[in-house]
Amino acid sequence: MLDQERPWTAFYGPSVRKSIEAPQYRTIGDFVSATAAAFGDLPAFTTCLPNGMNGTLSFKQADEMSDALAVYLREIAGLKAGDRVAIQVPNCLGYPIAAMAVFKAGCVLVNINPLYTPEEMAKQFADSEPSAIVIVDMFADKLVEAMQGHPIPNVIVTRVAEFLPAMPRMIVGAVQKYWDKTITPITMPHIRLPDAIKAGRAKHESLHNALVEYRSSIGPDDVACLQYTGGTTGVSKGAMLTHANILMNMEQTMELIQNLEKGKEVALTALPLYHIFAFTVNFLGFYSIGARNILIPNPRPLSNLKRAFENYKITWMSGVNTLFNGLNGEVWFQDTPPKYLKFASAGGMALQGVVAERWEKVTGKPVLEGYGLTESSPVLTFNPFGKTRLNSIGVPVPSTELRCVDDDGADVALGEAGELIARGPQIMKGYWNKPEETAKTIQNGWLLTGDIGVMDADGYFRIVDRKKDMILVSGFNVYPNEIEDIIAAHPGVEEVAVIGVPDGASGEAVKAFVVKRDATLSKDAIRAYCKEHLTAYKVPKSVEFRDELPKSNVGKILRKDLRAEQTEMKAGA
Amino acid sequence: MVGPLEQAILALMIFVIMLGMGASLTPRDFILALKRPYGLMIGVISQYGFMPLIGFILATTLPVSDPIKIGILIMACMPGGTTSNIFAYFSKGNLALSVLMTVTSTVFGVVLIPIVLVLYAGALDLDIPRENIIATLVLLLVPVAIGMVLRKFNANVGAVTEFMGSMLAIFFILFLIVSWIPRNWEFLLTTTWATYFGSIVLGLFGFALGYGFSTLLRLHPRNARTIALETGIQNGPLAIAIIAFTFSGLEAQAVMAVPVLYSLFIVITSTMLTLWFRRINTANEQPLPNGLL
Repeated sequence: MLDQERPWTAFYGPSVRKSIEAPQYRTIGDFVSATAAAFGDLPAFTTCLPNGMNGTLSFKQADEMSDALAVYLREIAGLKAGDRVAIQVPNCLGYPIAAMAVFKAGCVLVNINPLYTPEEMAKQFADSEPSAIVIVDMFADKLVEAMQGHPIPNVIVTRVAEFLPAMPRMIVGAVQKYWDKTITPITMPHIRLPDAIKAGRAKHESLHNALVEYRSSIGPDDVACLQYTGGTTGVSKGAMLTHANILMNMEQTMELIQNLEKGKEVALTALPLYHIFAFTVNFLGFYSIGARNILIPNPRPLSNLKRAFENYKITWMSGVNTLFNGLNGEVWFQDTPPKYLKFASAGGMALQGVVAERWEKVTGKPVLEGYGLTESSPVLTFNPFGKTRLNSIGVPVPSTELRCVDDDGADVALGEAGELIARGPQIMKGYWNKPEETAKTIQNGWLLTGDIGVMDADGYFRIVDRKKDMILVSGFNVYPNEIEDIIAAHPGVEEVAVIGVPDGASGEAVKAFVVKRDATLSKDAIRAYCKEHLTAYKVPKSVEFRDELPKSNVGKILRKDLRAEQTEMKAGA
Repeated sequence: MVGPLEQAILALMIFVIMLGMGASLTPRDFILALKRPYGLMIGVISQYGFMPLIGFILATTLPVSDPIKIGILIMACMPGGTTSNIFAYFSKGNLALSVLMTVTSTVFGVVLIPIVLVLYAGALDLDIPRENIIATLVLLLVPVAIGMVLRKFNANVGAVTEFMGSMLAIFFILFLIVSWIPRNWEFLLTTTWATYFGSIVLGLFGFALGYGFSTLLRLHPRNARTIALETGIQNGPLAIAIIAFTFSGLEAQAVMAVPVLYSLFIVITSTMLTLWFRRINTANEQPLPNGLL
């Protein structure tokens, strides 16, 4: 592509490479070790709990521990290159150790939302067939039910206070067990993470070249992660992200996130690491520049972040609209905005203009919005530092092509809306075991995003709508089909349609339209039923009863008509 | 009434508790409270404006003996006590403001207590034991400062100290109630309803006025909660010391009935108020939509 076709490169900073030929490292494992060697004893990861209790691992320690765990996975658990390892852990020190170990072992990482119900877990297990799982003790009780379809032979259990000094670890453990009662006994055979590391370390001593061998058995185009997402059809699919995809996207993104000093930054990671944005940008991107990552296991309520802001000189943070909006509204945050913050980065969902403006007023620092999809590892665009445009997703990152096309795949005129399609080294290999889905999403090497966007003359993009029926609740993709399936299974329900409606706080909220079979059925009963079967964010925020649902002449429920109705109502109000 | 050993143990407990409270604070918290001194000013006004007035009204309207009247008045004129800081902490109030209010009201008390007492009680000539006031300040400020330094030095040491301090504080509150009742059983049985009423209602009015006044002036709920507790919770031990210095024999014992009763019931009412404040605080937390957080 010629420069004139990529007008946005004019807005890159002077030191930004316009294109990146190839990633610096072959695999993520190589990258982790080389980076650890460069930053050695600097702090790499810190768990910060709401009461300020904390634990830190240096680059060297995290590297050594993940080496040992990689050996454990391969030699003791008996995994082979390419075997899947599920990680179901909130932000805490166990997460980076486990993730790095999976890459070093040449295995494939499957991120699982810790809050998933056993039903949701089971689906992901059945599809990805993991040979091992690293899970946090708080949620390990769900495994029995979740493993009924696909049993996972190796269970490694970690905890939120893992690798904290003994005293805080004991206190946190005791509080969780006896006060919060969030830890229940684990009935199935398992090994504790520190024990697995210890065992791996002992084994490693007798096997000197083991890690080199694991790494050389895989290449840049081998799959590193199966990152689950719903896509248009609602069927949960694992996006196959290769080592090169992720390494490239990390470099592409860090290229645009400028003004950072190697070995001096402190990043606040309140977004969950199992989400691809925090994974690529916070976890790997900031690791690459020797930053200290402050991991927040649970940012709810937001006062849980107060001690982290007080105790660490946070220079950068990432978030979604919800987080920025929430912090804007906290009195303690307004009183003492982070003094050392350089800027913040937003992704995952549209950043509202008012939220961005208010954030800048409160902190005095900008929040830069980016855009991407799970299928693109995830970053496609970002606002360049100092050249931020409100309500814009910014410009494509280096080596990324982005176009707006019509239904026939032809470019629309400049300033016209069209479906965004993207090409670049960060685009996934395809969906795991779903070639038809892959064919629908990647055509002639271009990823069809399903989002409708507009490019201006400078090459800045703006999202105007989504082609898909997918609902975006606070950064999470919610697929109407999945929720409709659950509600439809309720004996009192005749018919159901689920759409997303605009919602100030979360961007969009799930709304269900239900035709009753049982006249006594209540809205609360439907929500309660959903709560049993779905993660909280998928539960409809509102339920409306209807006598009938709009349908096409072939009997297909028309979600778009319901959506149009809601928009009209809102416009009329 | 309280032996020297017991007093020493209590002082030590307060020291450790305040160490923990201090470990939850940063210098910025104090700077912020000083930057917006309304809270502090409202606190002093509540403490030496409203409380003595309430005391005066109670003393003149209730059918109680003269020593009890004096007791109520003295109790009403006391500065904030250290327990107010503990309750401010547990009620998710503004601890820095609470500490500053206790300090201000105690320091101002040296001048204001005699003035207010003269105003309401005419020729009542009281000895203000300065050493008790200094002891109060030291027992408050020294551990708070050390706690803050501990946290600055090591966040884990700070957090563990805070945890231990708060655990001890809960124990301390229970200890005060549990140990007090059997020791004073006889006294509880022989006290008249009016004395009970005066001793209990003084604190309750203090809570209500402090909260109402600061809410009226649109202070943040967190500060309003703090001022309520600070206004209602008086320094009981200081009142006891003043009475012991000023009166003697049977008279001293009679006057002392009020601070003694007050000290018991204020712990009970503050605990209930704190539980309620915590519920309000949780209810007012920003709802975050379920999703990527």
